[in-house]
Amino acid sequence: MGKDECKTMLDALNKVTACYRHLVIALGSTSDSQNLREELKKTRKKAQELAVANRTKLTSLLKDKNISKDDRAEYERLWVLFTSSVELLEVDMKRSLEIGQDFPLKVPTRHLIQTGMTGSTTTVAARAMSVQNMKYEADANIDTVDLKELETEIAQVDQMMEEMEMKVQVAPWAVEAKQEAGAELKSTVSVGNSSVGVISICEEEPKETVEGETGLMKVFAGVIFTAVLLIAGILGYLVINL
Amino acid sequence: MTINTLSQDGVQRQQMPCLTKMERMIISMQDPDMGIKLRNQRLLITVIPHAMTGLDIVEWLIKKCSISDEEALHVGQLFVKYGYIYPLKEPRNLILKADDSSYRFQTPYYWMSTRWPASELDYAIYLAKKNIRKQGELIEYEKECYNALHKRINHTWDFVVMQAREQLRASKQRRKGDRIVLECQEQAYWLVNRPPVSPEHYKLTTLTKNTIKLYDFETIFSQRFYVKYCEQYQPHDPIMQGCLPSNPWITDDIMFWNMNSETVALPTKLRVERWSFSFMELLNDQMGRKEFLTYLEKEFSAENLCFWQACEDVRHGETAKIPEKVDEVYKQFLAPGASRWVNIDSKTMEKTLEGLKRPHRFVLDDAQMHIYFLMKKDSYPRYLKSELYKNLLARAIVPQETKKSVFPFMRRQRHSSPSPALATQTAEDDGKAKYSNSNSGTASRL
Repeated sequence: MGKDECKTMLDALNKVTACYRHLVIALGSTSDSQNLREELKKTRKKAQELAVANRTKLTSLLKDKNISKDDRAEYERLWVLFTSSVELLEVDMKRSLEIGQDFPLKVPTRHLIQTGMTGSTTTVAARAMSVQNMKYEADANIDTVDLKELETEIAQVDQMMEEMEMKVQVAPWAVEAKQEAGAELKSTVSVGNSSVGVISICEEEPKETVEGETGLMKVFAGVIFTAVLLIAGILGYLVINL
Repeated sequence: MTINTLSQDGVQRQQMPCLTKMERMIISMQDPDMGIKLRNQRLLITVIPHAMTGLDIVEWLIKKCSISDEEALHVGQLFVKYGYIYPLKEPRNLILKADDSSYRFQTPYYWMSTRWPASELDYAIYLAKKNIRKQGELIEYEKECYNALHKRINHTWDFVVMQAREQLRASKQRRKGDRIVLECQEQAYWLVNRPPVSPEHYKLTTLTKNTIKLYDFETIFSQRFYVKYCEQYQPHDPIMQGCLPSNPWITDDIMFWNMNSETVALPTKLRVERWSFSFMELLNDQMGRKEFLTYLEKEFSAENLCFWQACEDVRHGETAKIPEKVDEVYKQFLAPGASRWVNIDSKTMEKTLEGLKRPHRFVLDDAQMHIYFLMKKDSYPRYLKSELYKNLLARAIVPQETKKSVFPFMRRQRHSSPSPALATQTAEDDGKAKYSNSNSGTASRL
């Protein structure tokens, strides 16, 4: 069905947009590197392909005059999702152009901002490209060459958005969201639990001690457990031998 | 839904210059040799590098810019306030303390910038992420913002939820240390861009401290100009400062107008002072213009002012007389070898002479502007420093305030002038009476 296909494509675009934003946040900081620039380039291209594919599909669906009112409302909702995604993507592309220009890599002394992030972003990029491992094959001056391509791509995206605005007559304010406030809490995927403890560290001080206590307790429990095992082993040995 | 078109002809606002300077300074702090000394932040199991103490920052600023303690602290505060550096222990308290409390640099994506203002969609996504992480336990003002945003951008709420989930999944791919840094960074960014609203002084303090408004350079500039203008003109305002000798509208005494008329022998001190505020003030006052003309005659550049006056006449005068006036001006001031030739640069002269072939109201504008600025830059400041002006200022009179009579019953009572409505009614009544007297036959006419 057209709707399901659309939804999966939109989900893919959403995922790539989120990953792209994540990568742009790392730009200019100590996580920045040749690899990051290449990852940005690849993610960007993938995002654009997905955007174009989504657009063709959605415009063809919306142009069809023989769809029911409910279907039309649904397609308009998907259209609003699509345009918001492309807007975010466009803003991130422009920002990455700016930051990329301000922080070149091929200079004798790099002045990257020391933000405390030192890990690599390979896994994020791999998630965006839906591959297991990323392969890096770009040449050394990717940071300057890529920026020119980026400018043309930004112009293309701008143009695409203008065309979309002109050709497709969807009133965004008329669209009603399906999710109510707080819908994200009912998520089936547990994104919450593992990060809750982590966040309390940078929030308030008292919570730090709580986290500390649970950590210490874990260590304590481990120590006691191994001690008990040892004692049991020794006793058993003695029993057998005596 | 907003469409951001990258318009080449500059609809996007310019970055404030102070922000560019701050960014350059932050970059110089990263220098491996001359930059700030960084330490590691220990969080139980994880160690995150690149933390610095407030004292480090202040000392580095003192050394780098050769400034005093206080000034370095103030500059450091600006860095924290505008979000380039954020505190680690008390994230909500955006101040710099010159002790061992730790701080960290903010990533360039989150740098304060007028080109990329923080959008509502981004804030909604951030709040949704926080909602998921905290299992619904948002702080009070965040809850309010969340609900308000849900109403305002309801049409993209599905996108907000989808994007929030995906962003959290993406950040799960990073190491723990990086994840902590990411969350702290984002939190710091939003604390700067959407500061919590204190319920007590809602409108007053928060709107004046609203960071987004402060970045509008034009507003700051015009505010300062306005303050300066008000300060300068306050002594001259009859309502604010009172009117010497007395306010004619209150005491029915028209001395004030008499003393400030155009043909008085000695002007009042306030009037002469006002001529020094701006060139336009001097020119707008007839007496000022006359005095300035006398001064220019001494300097042999009186033709400038005459030319300017003639141009004003053309601009504001009758349309039918324009061609002959323009002709007069040309003969007197612009023709080569004219009796009162004015000194205009060749380009403007060429343009004006071209335009004279088809004279219209504004054909002399360029030349007039040139002469106006010439006078303003050159003759006017010299006039203000001249003996003529200073003498006049010394001789100018300060009128005495009319003494209020001691005995209340001796004071002149204020009579408001009779209302015009009453006047016409009495006239009508008189008219009617006369008419009815003369035409006793016709009773009802209305």
